[in-house]
Amino acid sequence: MKQVLETNGLVCPFPLVEAKDAIGGMDNGDELVINFDCTQATEAIPQWAAENGYPVTHFDRTGDASWTITVQKA
Amino acid sequence: MIITGLVVGLVLGFVLQRGRFCVTGAFRDLTLTGNTRWFSALILLIAVHSIGLFLLNALGVITLEASPFPWLASIIGGLIFGFAMVLAGGCATGTYYRAGEGLVGSWFALIFYALVSAVMKNGPLASVTEGLRSITIESGTLQASTGLSPWVFVAIISAVAIAVTVHHNRKIATPVATLPPLKKGLAHILTEKRWNPFVTAVVIGVIATIAWPLSAATGRNSGLGITTPSANLTTFLGTGDASLVDWGVMLVIGILLGSFIAAKASGEFRIRVPDQGTVVKSILGGVGMGVGAAIAGGCTVGNAMVSTAQFEYQGWVATFFMIVGAGVAAKFTIKSGARTGAAQPVESRSA
Repeated sequence: MKQVLETNGLVCPFPLVEAKDAIGGMDNGDELVINFDCTQATEAIPQWAAENGYPVTHFDRTGDASWTITVQKA
Repeated sequence: MIITGLVVGLVLGFVLQRGRFCVTGAFRDLTLTGNTRWFSALILLIAVHSIGLFLLNALGVITLEASPFPWLASIIGGLIFGFAMVLAGGCATGTYYRAGEGLVGSWFALIFYALVSAVMKNGPLASVTEGLRSITIESGTLQASTGLSPWVFVAIISAVAIAVTVHHNRKIATPVATLPPLKKGLAHILTEKRWNPFVTAVVIGVIATIAWPLSAATGRNSGLGITTPSANLTTFLGTGDASLVDWGVMLVIGILLGSFIAAKASGEFRIRVPDQGTVVKSILGGVGMGVGAAIAGGCTVGNAMVSTAQFEYQGWVATFFMIVGAGVAAKFTIKSGARTGAAQPVESRSA
């Protein structure tokens, strides 16, 4: 199953705080798509995913200062 | 040659933006999640800066001056600044570089921070600031009260810095995801690649060290600073007194421009208008940062990077209380599950 978390307009640390919340309620193998426009999260979210052993299946820009990342719960 | 301040500012603004160097985040993480990664990078920065400063001092290039320890102001100012920077969503430099990225909330925070620091340092409340800062303890540094060589403390902080740097750069099983590269060579490294926080910290430590003799050459015997220059810039704009435009004022203008250039070159500049609540928080945060930094005698740069590197009690005490203030603010303002628009399932959508 895939869920989308829209965090555009939220400044850090809120995208990551919400991502943690969202992934907490998901099952292993589920994917969470996080859309964000806080620059700092380009550092914080991949780092958080790696530290927790969550594979990132997609990570790209969606325009000027906006990004999308897909994290799989594992 | 105050123009060197502009050049140092441009480089520093660029590095801060690309390195996402956020002291607010570092302090907030300590209490919110217990994550010490960014705080460890700050320790490395302080270590590099202390080696640089005491080396320049020993070579006679600069003269570090001993000053007494304004203990009450360091505690009160640190608490207020730490609380306020979480509301504002960035410390002094964080607010500058986010303003350069086009975050309108940071524009508000920056304007009120610069305005209120002028009120507290040059304006009607200057006597309050001076009164609090006149309550002092004579010995202002670790080396002064212990009688030991400053190099003892340089060695200690360097050992701690090496230990935490090694710890945080150990291999983790899952690789850290990166954006698909669109650029090559230097353009990739400077305007695309993700910078390791520990590399960024070393670079900032070196820039901070170079800054001191350049600033001293213009008659301003101190290193990086944000609050006094911001206050002087505001005061100059209100009075036209050109004597206030010194190396430090050029530095902060440079930081703003440098971060804008970095963001623009990296496709990370966009004017982002926040919601009402964020605007109000940014303004209150900016006001509190101006009050706190003026009383504490510095922000996360002047105190947490430069004063700490000289082993001044002011820097370390103010930094500790900034962390406490940031922790209190984080507990009040950052609750998980606060927003109703949680993640939506999209099974039917091909994402």
